[in-house]
Amino acid sequence: MIKLENVSKIYKGDVSALLEASADIQKGEFVFLVGPSGSGKSTFLRLLTREEVPTRGKIFVAGKDIGDLSKWKIPFLRRNIGSVFQDFKLLPNKDVAENVAFALEVIGRPKHVVKTQVPAILELVGLSDKAQNMPNELSGGEQQRVSIARAFVNRPLILLADEPTGNLDPATSVGIMKLLDRINRTGTTVVMATHDRGIVDTMRRRVIELDRGKIVRDQARGVYE
Amino acid sequence: MALKVDYLVRETGQNLRRNITLTVAAVLTIAVSLFLVGSGLMIRQGVQNAFQRWEGGIEFIIFMNPDATEEQVQSIEDELGSNPQIKDYTFVDQEETYDEFVELFSDQPNMVESVEAEDLPPSFRVIPTNTDADFVSELGKNFEASAGVRRVIFAADSIKQVQRVGAWISTGVLVMAIVLLTAASLLILNTIRMAMFARRNEIEIMKLVGATNSYIRIPFILEGLVHGLVGMVIAASLLFGGRAVLSDRVLDLPILENFVVTVNETWVTVLVLLLVAIVVGTVGSAIAVSRFLDV
Repeated sequence: MIKLENVSKIYKGDVSALLEASADIQKGEFVFLVGPSGSGKSTFLRLLTREEVPTRGKIFVAGKDIGDLSKWKIPFLRRNIGSVFQDFKLLPNKDVAENVAFALEVIGRPKHVVKTQVPAILELVGLSDKAQNMPNELSGGEQQRVSIARAFVNRPLILLADEPTGNLDPATSVGIMKLLDRINRTGTTVVMATHDRGIVDTMRRRVIELDRGKIVRDQARGVYE
Repeated sequence: MALKVDYLVRETGQNLRRNITLTVAAVLTIAVSLFLVGSGLMIRQGVQNAFQRWEGGIEFIIFMNPDATEEQVQSIEDELGSNPQIKDYTFVDQEETYDEFVELFSDQPNMVESVEAEDLPPSFRVIPTNTDADFVSELGKNFEASAGVRRVIFAADSIKQVQRVGAWISTGVLVMAIVLLTAASLLILNTIRMAMFARRNEIEIMKLVGATNSYIRIPFILEGLVHGLVGMVIAASLLFGGRAVLSDRVLDLPILENFVVTVNETWVTVLVLLLVAIVVGTVGSAIAVSRFLDV
């Protein structure tokens, strides 16, 4: 599903965010990206959505080399990838249902699809009764559920999560991880960058550890360190 | 991918309302500058209409009697053709005179109806070899006594002056208009930039979930287009209004008696304004969008 071949990303002034990284992630896998701040986790994720272009090496997503993807095809790559962030990135002037619907509307999905998919996904994330609430009326955990709903409503093949529990307390984090686990069980490949030792150690999934841009460990059913 | 009309209308409308002060500034600047463009073009047209008969160095016109015989006309023509002091001349028959008359007075159907082609005098428009006033008047007067000639009229210095001043004014106005249009484009550019800044979170999410570039950009470009078009409508109304008011007043001045810009010519001017408005509106917003909205 995702394949990196000797990928390097070097920013101006010889700052290397990623160095000769190679990894092969199968469909349906759940992978943790761990490592200290600045080790290249976010760069790893941003390369997959083509927000960054690798300096060297090749990246394949769903069998396609995204390095030579022409500009106008990038949106179609992103429709196969859901993204979740630490800061949720919800639109404050839209309610929960509208925030989720927005993701379908702007890629031109017809109204009847929006009408059926939005309630279904809100049911999945357990927010059916908050559909009409505004984001500022929700707790952090609820807001993150909305953002996961938005990322997943289009049923992408891949879900990328950049520190999705970074702003949440441990109890709430467990709920979010259960949700990501459920999404993973539908066959969606999940790649999650995290600092949360507790989560990684309980879940026992594949762990890729980065240190100063290098992959220093790639372990099935791994722990944080 | 089909862009939905209701989406475009909603997004563009929202953008316009959100930046209402900048929107008004941009629209007014465009309205004023397009009004100037239109005025410049119409002054030029008016001067041209007023002195249509005097274009291209024509110094005097020999009007025949409407009922002059063919022999009389022919003899004048022979005389003009054989005179070495005459560089060139054109004969305007009754039909052509009538056509010009109809065009000039197309706003006044009563006037047009009351006149038939045979009521109008055929004429010779004459370009002499020398434009010196004494020389011209001497030359022209030779024809006054000939049979069938009603009278000879000369291009007065005052006409030449009005022609020159008219050209100056319309050029000056057009130059001012171009400066203002540049300002208008920059204002649109900034307005769109503000609109994009106000909506940066939405744009970020649109990119994230895979909205196409055109889907993100088109509402902003439409916003610029709306600025241009609203400004154009205001300018066009001012031009039509101004034309109606002036055609009552100006025509009383003898030197400007034929200073007429017809309704049709005003429509042509408005069509030019429409094109300019579309260009200014889309260029301003397209530059903003391509500079500040990258994937």
